[in-house]
Amino acid sequence: MLYRVCSSNDLTDNSMIVFKINNDNILVGRRNGRLFSCNNSCPHRGASLSKGDFNGDNIVCYMHGYEYNVFTGKLEHMKSWKKDNSWMEQSFEWRKSDDLTLYPVMEKDGAIYIEFGQDN
Amino acid sequence: MSASTKKESFPKIVALEVLEKNGINVEKLKELITKGVGAEFTTYYYYTILRMHCTGLEGEGIKEIVEDARIEDRNHFEAMVPRLYELGGGLPRDIRKFADQAGCPDAYLPDNWEDINSILKVLLEAEQCAIRSWGEVCDMTAGKDPRTYDIAQNIMQEEVEHEAWFIELLSKRPSGHFRRSFVGQSPHTRGQGGLIHL
Repeated sequence: MLYRVCSSNDLTDNSMIVFKINNDNILVGRRNGRLFSCNNSCPHRGASLSKGDFNGDNIVCYMHGYEYNVFTGKLEHMKSWKKDNSWMEQSFEWRKSDDLTLYPVMEKDGAIYIEFGQDN
Repeated sequence: MSASTKKESFPKIVALEVLEKNGINVEKLKELITKGVGAEFTTYYYYTILRMHCTGLEGEGIKEIVEDARIEDRNHFEAMVPRLYELGGGLPRDIRKFADQAGCPDAYLPDNWEDINSILKVLLEAEQCAIRSWGEVCDMTAGKDPRTYDIAQNIMQEEVEHEAWFIELLSKRPSGHFRRSFVGQSPHTRGQGGLIHL
């Protein structure tokens, strides 16, 4: 189902906004002119990705520093605010993460829409 | 898989119904709480090891503070777990899975533990992760689930105090805190959840 989330002017470049749709928090953003949309819950430990920062095309989760590409959804880095050598001591099960859950997003007639429903 | 029983075997739970009407995603909330209490429990375990290695003139000086944080983190587990079950959730049957899903990394003893600052850094990182973790629960429940919010924000207050203790020990910035009246006092979470004995 297509949802209008905001007007185009509401989403400036290099910013992101969380919208609540059907009890899910959806993050919609614009990075270097390109739109993206994903679930706001970090696939690693569930933190709000909206509290993170951009690093290139990645969003950096503020909880553990995991980085995901906002356009492909792929986990790019598992670095952390801990030093790399101690971080790698953590068990594999603890460190592993899914990729981002992405949603189709489009801009039309001065508004931004996302496709959200049972399929995603 | 949690130890909780199938939901349909229970009558309607009004306490959950109102949360859903308030816009709370109960499944997500249970997930965050399970990760949060997992972090508290594993932290309690690892702080035990860290405390044992607070030795020598400097180490003995911080041992009591580490002990305060250790017991209060265990208290946080005790304070929130009953709420998890009220929400229809539960602890994983296997403690290994419980540890693997914890919201914060393991606070391992550093290799250079003789340097007391290295232990303090581990303690500080653990507290800072806990603040972020309970902050998520507070954000989700503020104005919508006063019972969970009340417990989470009280845990947050103690975690913020713990962070301040360790920052002050590391940086020597001016300090506002004074010692607890007794180990495990938990001035904010006492009397909540499973802590009615405090």
